[in-house]
Amino acid sequence: MDIDDLPGELIMWILIASELLVFAAGITAMMAMQLTDPSGFAAARGMLDGRMAALNTVVLVTSGLFAARAERAAARGNRQAARLALLPAALGGVVFLAIKALEYSRDLAAGAGMDSHPFFTFYFLLTGFHAAHVIAGVAVLGLVAIRARPDGVQAGAMFWHMVDLVWVMILPPIYLIGPAS
Amino acid sequence: MSAPTRTWLILIALTAATVALAPLPGLAAMAGLLAVAWFKARAILGGFLHLRAAPGWLPALTVPLALWMAAIWGLAALAFT
Repeated sequence: MDIDDLPGELIMWILIASELLVFAAGITAMMAMQLTDPSGFAAARGMLDGRMAALNTVVLVTSGLFAARAERAAARGNRQAARLALLPAALGGVVFLAIKALEYSRDLAAGAGMDSHPFFTFYFLLTGFHAAHVIAGVAVLGLVAIRARPDGVQAGAMFWHMVDLVWVMILPPIYLIGPAS
Repeated sequence: MSAPTRTWLILIALTAATVALAPLPGLAAMAGLLAVAWFKARAILGGFLHLRAAPGWLPALTVPLALWMAAIWGLAALAFT
């Protein structure tokens, strides 16, 4: 195992590891807090719509596929193909955010506010922080599309896959892990 | 089939597995959901982020991730049993 074997820039791997640790810490704190009120957490979690989360997973991994295709096209020197793949990748991020906004509006309409239960505090903080990364990722994909250089597109795609990775990691503890599962 | 497409198909199949497992009760289902999430993370790290081609680095990330998920399962088991 050699540090030079890591694909892409080392700083991107430091970022990925840091982000994973931050979200893992947040999820661990939520699961530990759940021990103080398991039934309250289960009832709060039961108000969420897991179908929206599943749909967003499909959107995000499909978007990741286009980011991966953009990376390959840029590596081959085909900037136009890279830009054409970055567009649906970024669009996937926008669709993800639209679904998330719809989900938040339904949560709030059902009385699930930031202060209504500690679960929702964690829910809004963790998914909101993740959504902020999606916004940043869409901007990054747009920026790297301008010049479509191989190293830039690779870094943008790595950031996007990190957003994808964090989502699949936080989804079960937030939406699914409860007495019903 | 290209490597990214293969990774994407694996992720879609694993998402379908999550949807199938989600309504099931019990600690085994919780473990199954976390295991599926671990396989998704492994697919992203190995396929999209190319760690499969970097000797030693894929387990360097996925083994701590598995330990963390086991801890999450343990905390959920403490809460719901």
